[in-house]
Order: sequence, then C-alpha cells, then structure tokens
Amino acid sequence: MPEILIVAVAVVAFYLWSVYNQLVTIKTRIQASIQEIGNQLKRQADLIPNLVSSVKGYMKHEKAIFDELTEARKAIMKVVDSGDPQKLIDASQRLQSAFAPIRAVFESTPQLQAAGPTTKLMDELRDTADKVMYSRRTLIDLTADYNIKTVTFPSNLVAKMFGFKQEAGLKVPEGETTTPKVEL
Amino acid sequence: MVNVYEQQDSNKRRSLLVVAFFVVFVVLISWVFAQVLDYGSGLMGLALIFAGIISFGSYWWGDKMILAISGARPANKKEDFNFFTVAENLAMASQIPMPKLYVIDDSAPNAFATGRDPKHAVICATTGLLQKLDRTELEGVVAHELSHIRNYDIRLMSLVTILVGMITLLVDWLLRSARLSDGNRERGNLGAILLVAGLISALLSPLIAQLIQLAISRRREFLADSSAVLLTKYPEGLARALAKINADKEPLEAANKATAHLYIVNPFKGQKSIGMFANLFNTHPPIEERIKILKEMV
Repeated sequence: MPEILIVAVAVVAFYLWSVYNQLVTIKTRIQASIQEIGNQLKRQADLIPNLVSSVKGYMKHEKAIFDELTEARKAIMKVVDSGDPQKLIDASQRLQSAFAPIRAVFESTPQLQAAGPTTKLMDELRDTADKVMYSRRTLIDLTADYNIKTVTFPSNLVAKMFGFKQEAGLKVPEGETTTPKVEL
Repeated sequence: MVNVYEQQDSNKRRSLLVVAFFVVFVVLISWVFAQVLDYGSGLMGLALIFAGIISFGSYWWGDKMILAISGARPANKKEDFNFFTVAENLAMASQIPMPKLYVIDDSAPNAFATGRDPKHAVICATTGLLQKLDRTELEGVVAHELSHIRNYDIRLMSLVTILVGMITLLVDWLLRSARLSDGNRERGNLGAILLVAGLISALLSPLIAQLIQLAISRRREFLADSSAVLLTKYPEGLARALAKINADKEPLEAANKATAHLYIVNPFKGQKSIGMFANLFNTHPPIEERIKILKEMV
C-alpha cells in the first residue's frame, strides 16, 4: 500500500515542519524580548546624566545617592551587550532602587515638578521601566512555553532531533507568582 | 467564565447576525412602506442594496465614522506621552499590533475602542481622562480597551453603533413621512391597517435597537475588566480609574445614543435614574459592582 505510506510520511513531515517552525518562532521572540530589555536599559542609562544634572540643585547634600546612581549606570553599561537576561534584569533592578530616593524627592518638591525638563525625564524613566517590566514578563511567558514544548511528548522528539535545548529564562520575582483571581 | 477564544468566536458570529438583522429589518420596513404608499417591489430591491452598502461601509469604515461623529483628533507621543507609551507597552505585552490612538477634546473623563480587528483598531480617550488619571490608572483603562480589541468586541460594537444609528435615522424619517401621508384619506381599509403596522414597527424598532445594545454590552464589560487585570496584573489601577471616572459628574457631550455603549463608563451620568425604564436600558453594569469585583481580585 504505497499510498498509505506516502500519506503517513507526509503527515509526519508536516508535523516535524510545524513544530520546528514553532520552536524557531518562539526562540526568535525570546531573543527579541531580551534585546528589548537591553535597548530600554541603554535608554535609561542615557537619561541618567540629564536627570542628575536637573535635580542636583535640589539635592546638594546627598552625594551618596548620586554615587550609587552612577554606579548602577556603569553596571548597566557593562552588561547591556551581554545578552544575558538575568544580568540585564539585575542591573535594571539595581538602577530602580538607586533611583527611588530621587523619585521621592521629586514627588515632594513642587518646584521640581513645575520645571518641565525633570518631569519629562521622570516620565521617560517611568516608561522605560514599564517597558523593561513588560518585556521581562513576555520573556518569562515565552520561555515557559518553549521549555514545555521541549520536554513534552511528542514535540520533545523534534526538539531533540534539531538540538533545541531548554532556555534558562529568568527567576520570577517575588509577588508575581500569585495570579490575580478572576471571576465572572 | 467564558474564555477569550469563545468570546472572539461569539463576537464574530454575532457581528454577522447583527448585519443580517439589519438587512432584514431594512427590507421589512421598506416592504411596509411600499404597501402603505403603493410603491412596487422595486423599493425593496433598492432597500436591499442600500442595506448591503451600509453594512459593508460600517464594517470597513465604522471606526472612521465613529471617530468623525465623536470629533476626535489623532494623538501624538509628544502631547499625550502617558497615553501613547502606556498603549505601546500594553500592546507589546498583549502581543497585538499597537492600535491607533485618538483624543476627544472634552473634560469629561471617558474612553472607548473601535475598529474591525486587532490590525485595524483605534483607542480613543478624552482629554479629561488623560488629565485626571495618573499613569497607573490610565494603564488600567487602556488595558480594558485593549481587551475589547483582542476579544473582537470592537467589531461587533462598531457595527451595532453604525447600524443602530441608521435604524434610528430611518425610523425618524419613516415616522415623519407616515405623518405626512396621514393627510390623504382616500386609501382603503388595507392601507389603514398597514399604516398602523408601520407605525407599530416604527415605535417598536428603537426599543429593539436599544435592547440589542443592552444584550451585547454588559457582560463584555466584566470580561474586559478581568482581561485587563490579567494584562496589568494590578486590579487596583483600573478600580481607582473607574471610581474616578464615576465620581466625575460631567456628561460627555461628544457621545450620543448610538455611541454611548462604546465607552468604558456610561457617558450620560446623572441622567440614568429618570423613569422606570432607566435601569432596563442601561448599557453598562453599575460601576460599584465592577469595582467590587476588581477589589476581590487583589
């Protein structure tokens, strides 16, 4: 029965083809979201010097804050091209915490809020931080998807055949492991 | 709970149904009209073509029509920084293309989404909304609108807006011509009966139209609220935004009967408690209930 054989081979080939494509697609999107995190970190790092000079007048006696901010910026510059998501996220977290006291000062200083440039910078930083957060979340979801495909039967056979390995992914930070309860 | 895919399918199905309903309705009205005024069946053919063109037009250009009715301008990143970037981020997170953004110049805070599918979608906010909400709250509102887009609520809702608007116009026109033809009395008994039938259908149809709005609008608000929370993972933001929008008593001038059901919160605030029918025809679930459900998700 050569017809049945041909059909069977075609079905298997189709399956291989589709799983292979799925894996490649997810992998590309994982890379893209890592890159997005890197891009946003670069933007954050570029915004820092301007921010420092715009708030310096209001925070004369707080050299330690600015030092930590500069250090955090350097840390970003160091890892930004590494493509290692965990390092990127750690650097971004460090910047965010270094950034917190400045935000506090900004929120309690009406003169600073009235001056346009600082507000603009704060908005930009908030946006880049949001973008990092959403990219990180996408990265976590995609990695989970991908890893499930590489271990569950029968897609794991295809993964093994073409040498798709598990992705390391990210540590899910505290507080995001609890999904909000949804009821209708 | 209905899942997103079921909701998408049901919305696509209902969109077709609404169009079919509209075509049948227009042909029926034209039939009554032709009987009363002694026109041939040519009128029905004309009505069929008319209904077809209108339906296609509202599918293809529904978003543009609605934006034009509401008097919206395109948003840009410089002037509407938070709106623009929040939409950009959430679109990325929900993995749909970034929708086009529009702003209505009105101090009453409100927002809606329209379009025919995620690739041709629009989110529109009032300047009042952009000024009164902080970024976190705005994120909740934009996520709610994005959920409408992803669920294909926008297709159904835009079609309904335009077609219901058309029915209302048609009925207005019919009533007026019925009143005009009341003058000549030389018609027989049949004419009078058909005239009555015409009048009844003319009176009933706004009611039917309103009921469509009701039937398709309430549960999808709840669903969009919960999908929004899945996106932002922060129910508090949307809850605060809804409370703020609700506390604002200013009615939105850009909204009318046909577009009211599009908005995140009923734009005719304060006017809703008039008469016993008010609650029956309310297109939105009560805000308090929505906030309560959101608070329970925390």
